[in-house]
Amino acid sequence: MNMPDESAVRDALCTVDDPEAGMSIVALGLVYNIAVTDDAVNVDMTMTTPACPVADSLVEQSKAAIAAISPPGTPVNVNLVWEPIWNPSMMSGVAKEFFGWPG
Amino acid sequence: MQRVPLLMLGFVALFIGAGAGLARLAWPMPAVAAGAAALHGPLMVCGFFGVVIALERAVALARWWAYLGPFAAGLGTVLALAGAPQLAAAGLYVLGGLVLLAASLDVFRRQRALFTFTLVLGALAWVLGAALWAAGWPVHRVVPWWMAFLVLTIAGERLELSRFMPPSPAATRVFAALLALIVLSLPLAHTAWGILVFAAGLLALALWLVKQDIARRTVRAKGLTRFVAVCLLSGYFWLALGASVMLGAQGLHPGSAAYDAALHAIMLGFVFAMVFGHAPIIFPAVLRVPVPYHAWFYGPLALLHGSLLVRLAGDVSGNFALTRLGGALNALALLAFILSTVTAVLMGTPALPKASKT
Repeated sequence: MNMPDESAVRDALCTVDDPEAGMSIVALGLVYNIAVTDDAVNVDMTMTTPACPVADSLVEQSKAAIAAISPPGTPVNVNLVWEPIWNPSMMSGVAKEFFGWPG
Repeated sequence: MQRVPLLMLGFVALFIGAGAGLARLAWPMPAVAAGAAALHGPLMVCGFFGVVIALERAVALARWWAYLGPFAAGLGTVLALAGAPQLAAAGLYVLGGLVLLAASLDVFRRQRALFTFTLVLGALAWVLGAALWAAGWPVHRVVPWWMAFLVLTIAGERLELSRFMPPSPAATRVFAALLALIVLSLPLAHTAWGILVFAAGLLALALWLVKQDIARRTVRAKGLTRFVAVCLLSGYFWLALGASVMLGAQGLHPGSAAYDAALHAIMLGFVFAMVFGHAPIIFPAVLRVPVPYHAWFYGPLALLHGSLLVRLAGDVSGNFALTRLGGALNALALLAFILSTVTAVLMGTPALPKASKT
């Protein structure tokens, strides 16, 4: 198994859903950065608010989703960041459409 | 600090608090619940919701001191049940509320927004309500404060999620106005018109939530997401109904059928529908065990709503036997919810197709 590229990591993160919104963390714009080096995968992600108690479980699910497509033992770092703070304009077109934003 | 024992303290309050409620409806109960009949409200609001909400906020903040909130409130429950003076138990509930308030202020400091401010006001309502109870106010006079604690906490969280919907500055202004109306009416809630303003604020807030909540969209999704949406939308019905009963009955008159109806429509129908919906999301976050969704989660929800209808039918018709039966079914709905959640945990995650090894 080779190291996944960034788009493969993004695809893997598309399987991690925010249960309340019924949408992936990627569609909601919660994944800020994906960087794959020769021997590690690094992801910066956020939550919609620091008051959100599910942060840990979404981070764990993200790690598991990435580990599943990476060579065994690959370090997968998923960092929870609050800078910049998330805002709704970061949502993808699909998410905006689902929630009824004007096109 | 250990999360499981803290959560267990909350569930002790829920079990004994519900038993205390049944004792008030003249159901034979074990001595520990029967003896706590006068503590039904404090146990449910401060002992259960106080602990659970403070624990949830502590998990979100990931600060050790925030766990002192559920710890203090849980200790308050222990003292209350041990027959300690009311001041001691109530004092610990105040302390638990103060830690939740501090945690909420920390969230607000990190993200200055109307919804984080709403969470602060919700926590403040718990603190002030518990302080008034500690000062010797009867529970029925403290009820609006504790109602505001739960309603504002939920409303703040829903306002947060409503940001997924298209931005509407007008809707935000309306929310802010309703928030002001509810909070400013609280100190006057013991007056004849103050409680009406409070009730009108709750009714308008219920309508706002129905209109602006993402549940309107997510109810078209599948599985857990739809279940959460159904819980929320059905809960808003009870919030609106409970507020309407308060308006129709010209306030909250303790001992009246309308008091029973309004209180349980809001605190049980609205608040627990929210709990049922979010348990499969929050429990995994707090306890680190998955609660896989099953379609039978709708069973306890249907029982909650059905049992409330029975209870309120008894209230409306003045038929105490019906109210009493509804109360027992209410407790059964909570039990069914706990059992269905535990069963889902024990059954575990459905086996995933094995990834091919390369």
